[in-house]
Amino acid sequence: MSWHHRLRNLFRSDRLIRDIEREVEFHIAERAEALRVQGMPEDEALRQARLRFGNRTVVREQMRDADIVTWADSFAGDVRYVLRALRRAPAFAVVAVASLALGIGANTAIYSLIDAVVLRPLPVNDPHELVQLAMGEKDQGYFTNPLWEQVRDNQSGFTAIAAFGETTFNTAGGQKQSIGGSWVSGDYFTMFGVQPVLGRLFGRADDVRGCSGTAVLGNGYWHAEYGSRTDVVGRTISLEGKPFQIVGVAPAGFRGAEIGGDPQVYVPLCSEAVISGSLSALDRRSNWWLRVIGRRQSDLSLQQVKSRLAAISPEVMQATLPPRWSEDNKREYLTRTITARPGEGGVSALRKRYTTALATLMGGVGVVLLIACANVANLLMARAAAREREMAVRLAIGAGRRRLVRQLMTESGLLALCGAVVGLFVARWGTQGLVALISTSTDPVTLDLALSRHVLGFTALVAILTAMVFGLVPAWRATRVSPQAAMKPTSRGVAEGHSRFTIGKTLVVIQVALSLTLLVGAGLLFGSLRNLVTLDPGFQPRGILVTGVNLRRTGIPAERYPAAHREILEQLRAIPGVRSASTSQITPIGHSTWNDMLLVDGFHASSQADAVVWFNSVSEGYFATLGTKLLAGRDFDHTDVPRGAKSAIITEELARKFFGSVAPLGRQFRTKAGDGLSEPLTVVGVVQNAKYESLRETSSPTVYLAATQDTVPGAFVALELRAAGEPQSLVPSLKRVFAATYPAATLEFRVLDEQISESLRRERLLAVLSGLFGAVAVLLSMLGLYGVMAYSVARRRNEIGVRIALGADRMRVLRMVLGDVARVVAIGLALGVAGALVSGRLVATFLFGVAPADPTVLTVSAAGLSLVALAAGLIPALRASRMDPAETLREE
Amino acid sequence: MPKTRNDILQGTLDLLVLRTLDASGPMHGYAITAHIGRVSSDLLRVEEGSLYPALHRMEQEGWLRATWGVTEKNREARFYEITAKGRKQLESERESWSRLTEGVGRVLRYA
Repeated sequence: MSWHHRLRNLFRSDRLIRDIEREVEFHIAERAEALRVQGMPEDEALRQARLRFGNRTVVREQMRDADIVTWADSFAGDVRYVLRALRRAPAFAVVAVASLALGIGANTAIYSLIDAVVLRPLPVNDPHELVQLAMGEKDQGYFTNPLWEQVRDNQSGFTAIAAFGETTFNTAGGQKQSIGGSWVSGDYFTMFGVQPVLGRLFGRADDVRGCSGTAVLGNGYWHAEYGSRTDVVGRTISLEGKPFQIVGVAPAGFRGAEIGGDPQVYVPLCSEAVISGSLSALDRRSNWWLRVIGRRQSDLSLQQVKSRLAAISPEVMQATLPPRWSEDNKREYLTRTITARPGEGGVSALRKRYTTALATLMGGVGVVLLIACANVANLLMARAAAREREMAVRLAIGAGRRRLVRQLMTESGLLALCGAVVGLFVARWGTQGLVALISTSTDPVTLDLALSRHVLGFTALVAILTAMVFGLVPAWRATRVSPQAAMKPTSRGVAEGHSRFTIGKTLVVIQVALSLTLLVGAGLLFGSLRNLVTLDPGFQPRGILVTGVNLRRTGIPAERYPAAHREILEQLRAIPGVRSASTSQITPIGHSTWNDMLLVDGFHASSQADAVVWFNSVSEGYFATLGTKLLAGRDFDHTDVPRGAKSAIITEELARKFFGSVAPLGRQFRTKAGDGLSEPLTVVGVVQNAKYESLRETSSPTVYLAATQDTVPGAFVALELRAAGEPQSLVPSLKRVFAATYPAATLEFRVLDEQISESLRRERLLAVLSGLFGAVAVLLSMLGLYGVMAYSVARRRNEIGVRIALGADRMRVLRMVLGDVARVVAIGLALGVAGALVSGRLVATFLFGVAPADPTVLTVSAAGLSLVALAAGLIPALRASRMDPAETLREE
Repeated sequence: MPKTRNDILQGTLDLLVLRTLDASGPMHGYAITAHIGRVSSDLLRVEEGSLYPALHRMEQEGWLRATWGVTEKNREARFYEITAKGRKQLESERESWSRLTEGVGRVLRYA
């Protein structure tokens, strides 16, 4: 009875057992006494009494199960039992928990990003009432200020409506120190229903034309810059060199309506005029810089709000018609209709850019988790086989099968729980890494990644599901043993190994298939990234320092800007270490662009968009500095004087498309200027094609104008400096030059190489993560394969021993085991190819220069996987071939 | 174990136990068995193995209260006592039982 006692102590609390035992003992004693009174001999009476009572173990189990308190108690017992069992098999426990932690952690990490970027509503009151206004379904939702004012004054159906625009403010003189800022209309804070932590937030009175500068600090900035001091209200902050009076501080947790942004300072819309002065966008009818969010009346549906907006649209559009547009464009403008869409999630460029990528990654981590589940299921099954005898004994002495399944499920649940807890740490670390991957110094991403109930709920759900997936089948199978098995002296037969195994091998087949799917996806994304990194953009970015210079605060008159730019350029060219230098309006693959329509005699555009090309305004030496080859004609030079004939240099692609010639030197074209046409421009040179906005663009026809002939010179200019050494090493000398000449100029330094690399961060994120998932998937699958094969060999010891004893040579044994591996891997790969074709299609939108079903990627992935599989299978195969038959047979 | 014909119909055990405890006050498990046997003139025999799980279940439902006590023969035993909730349950079970017997009786008589 030692087993019996041990088991009883293992999974029950002693007090309850004693009580139930006492009650049953009492009953049997009473019955026996009654029988004795009827004249039965004493020991026969006791036997009869026991017989009548039935199976005591079953009754006790049922009594215990009837009791919730006991249930909880036996659960604690199960947990204790499982912990003890796991402590005896630490390797199993560690591998299982680590697999699950990786799987669950990766899922949680991606999910928490999706939650923060896509799913979570703004942290404001009743976010479901918020709607975002836009010009049509696909429109990005930008408004001009006159348009916003018209909407604000004519709308009905909103309890409040507000406009805002994202911007950056320079808070310092000299080298630029930008902080994120937001222009907001007077009702902005009231509409969101947020309360100040200090001072006050804006009201309507703050946002009236001609206002002086007032500012509300973002909570993060207040904390970081002012140490959360309470005396900031009433102080002033310098934004773009203008004083703004601080009136209050926004609450923690509120980061504006732009997800991923975190305005450090909010200023009223009207103060745009304070900063921009005569160039103010407030009355510009074609300056699209605001977004509009409204809170609809709770008794109106979104549909009703839409129809009210549609009703006021003609009037609003008529009132804001840009006077200098062409007649065609004006007609089109008047037909635009304002519409609305759900705005509870705020607005987000980040969301637009990353939703599909995150969904793709979520699919990837889902697959990783499945592979991890298969691994743990396999481990559990191998373990169950080793515990067959234990199960048989417990079934034989009356434990219910359900009871055993429950206990095994407790084990699975506990493993999943541990996996989830460790997984949360993995996720925490992972999400921070993810945000770092997509965040850059010029475009910082701030997300609220605190563990929300949402995310914890998701993790719990995933953990429960995984426990079900990997635990149920092994538990069911493990308890299917017959109680007789316990009686057999040794239950290991010669040929038993095969049958039990099919399910283990099936799991490995699935793992291999899923791994190949992930590997191919990763391979395609890596291939795309490599193509993007190695492609020739039409210039040589390495070694170039870009310096943005803004002269607005120097106080020199606007007409002197071109001369000042030239003067600066000459000074910089004199710095030792600068090989060549130039100026331009736009730097390639940066954040700003400039496009316009091109009119060429003899060229008929198929559509308006077909005639639109990129523009840039550059100094002489620009192409030499960037390393763009001049194919025909000349570079700009001293002959391109302001009042002379306007010169232009065009790209080869543009020359072919618009002029049908490789070197249309001397040919002329015009662009639009207001409603009319510009002066004619003469082509003086042709350069090679160069990427303009992004490395992904397939076509970048560009017109370069001479900086010396700029019609509306701006205060800003970008300087490209090709350095002899490290580009960053030029920064101190540059600062010295500016300190001596224009100390008030605002400077911004960037390395062109980095600027381009930043433009690929989504691609990099996808490639790095999918590569990581692929690697984890392969690792887990190979662990699974190794485990299954090692276990197979262990179970077939006798068989193999007999084979060797009967004369099978060792190569043959090796081949036999490896043959087994090959079969499993081959089936897995075959299935995996099908999966890979699907995954290729899913990532198709992210690919560049690689086909979704690229045969090379497929072949390399499959070959690599086979090789690793062979290595994983070789260890058990070698072990099998080195078996000493005498020893294995003796064990029997 | 030989199957006895007078096993208690599934679901009626609760009714019998509740009625017994309602009528005779607190009792231990063995006494309940004996009482049912005696009152039914041995027509009904409680399956002893199923009585205790049922008692524990009813205790869990809140129909019974259990306390350890001492019998007249000075043995320790667990005494069960009906609660107010148990009496309500008894009423509803009694009602459904009479509906059942009436229904079965009608079918036997007229069908």
